[in-house]
Amino acid sequence: MRYAPPLIRHSLAATLLLGGIFFTAPWPSLQGVFHAFLVLGLAPQASNLLLAALWAAAGGWILEGTLRLYPVVGGTPWADITLVVLAATLARRWPPDRLWIRWAQLAALTALHALAVHGAVRLACGPHPWGTGWAWALASVPLWGTLIHHFQKRPSWR
Amino acid sequence: MKAAGWGWSARDLMRWTVLALWLGHGVWVVLGRGTGTALRRSLDLFTGPSQWVSMRWEGWKVARARRISDLAQAQSEIERLRWELEALRVQQAREAPERSEAREATRLLGLKPMVGLDLRAARIVVNNRKAPFSGMVIEPALGPSLLPDQGVIAAEGVVGRIWSASPQQASVLPLDAYNASTGVMLARSRATGVLQGTGPGRAEIRYISSQEVVQVGEAVFTSGLDRVFPRGLLVGHVVQVWTRGSELGVEVGLAAPLDRLHLVFVLPAEPPLEIEPPGQGSAKPDPARSGKR
Repeated sequence: MRYAPPLIRHSLAATLLLGGIFFTAPWPSLQGVFHAFLVLGLAPQASNLLLAALWAAAGGWILEGTLRLYPVVGGTPWADITLVVLAATLARRWPPDRLWIRWAQLAALTALHALAVHGAVRLACGPHPWGTGWAWALASVPLWGTLIHHFQKRPSWR
Repeated sequence: MKAAGWGWSARDLMRWTVLALWLGHGVWVVLGRGTGTALRRSLDLFTGPSQWVSMRWEGWKVARARRISDLAQAQSEIERLRWELEALRVQQAREAPERSEAREATRLLGLKPMVGLDLRAARIVVNNRKAPFSGMVIEPALGPSLLPDQGVIAAEGVVGRIWSASPQQASVLPLDAYNASTGVMLARSRATGVLQGTGPGRAEIRYISSQEVVQVGEAVFTSGLDRVFPRGLLVGHVVQVWTRGSELGVEVGLAAPLDRLHLVFVLPAEPPLEIEPPGQGSAKPDPARSGKR
């Protein structure tokens, strides 16, 4: 069976998700889903940790740039880099072979990601509304978690 | 504890880079340096084309919706106008006889003060004079019963005379009937004769001497000698002249459109020979100067 190289497939999928974050700016809830999908689901599947961190940071920067909500930017990409390193480490140490394990990991990471983003943004620009993006991302974990599970069961990063 | 992973190999350098990236972001956030303006401007460069396409698309949709709306309004307007036009045509067709009668009545009303007689209006209820032994039946306005040999005139000219009368209606013998005779005179030569009907809209003057000079187009007036019409009422115009032994044959086209008449005036019985034109006392009318008389 012939498949596209993992790097190309991964890059195409990450680019699509970046476009999704960019073009769903009018709907922050949907944007939150794309953001979590990229940072917690797809970016940790990158071929190396640096690439994963760069994809996650790009997602955070695009989200903050299109959200036009925070007076000082940078908190979201910082939290994204933190969480993508954590997610990649989790995937390396305890690779989720079963779907429900992956769902559980992603749900926990999503909750942690929401807290980290909120904390980092609060540190950068002060108090701000929570919004509902994190809830939509958490609720949609079975959807994009399943996609990620079938996209690449085992990360190639070591 | 093994320090593997944090040396200077390529993989370790990658980890150092990730750490630097993370620390850089952290310092950036803690120091609060980024206002986001440059980032947003740079992102606007990417959103500009899509915004331009979106604006064009929305503008096209609005223009299309407006065109559709305008087209629908125009079509409904055309449909409404079509119905109104059809209704007006029906109304016009329905009112055409009344308007024709009104125009005729207006002409008659203009004629009445010029004649200077006690004229009585009447409506033509039957006009089948082209059929054999037929004529016109009139219904006069309220008043005394009509009498035979009362003259009947219209605004265009003389029509005929009452043939028989009843309290409500009267039959008219038109000028073009074969048994109709009317005293007439020519406008230029003042020669008098008797007009006899020869066919629809035509009549012939008898008893004009061949010594008289008669021109085609010459007006023909009543002479008043038959005591049915006063002198000077327009009868018609000469259309043909020929010599017939010792007399002239003069064919006359009648002035009154006998086929299209609806309203007429009935002259009083035995009118005076001369009628006084309005505002001239007892002066004689000049038929040559008046087309109606």
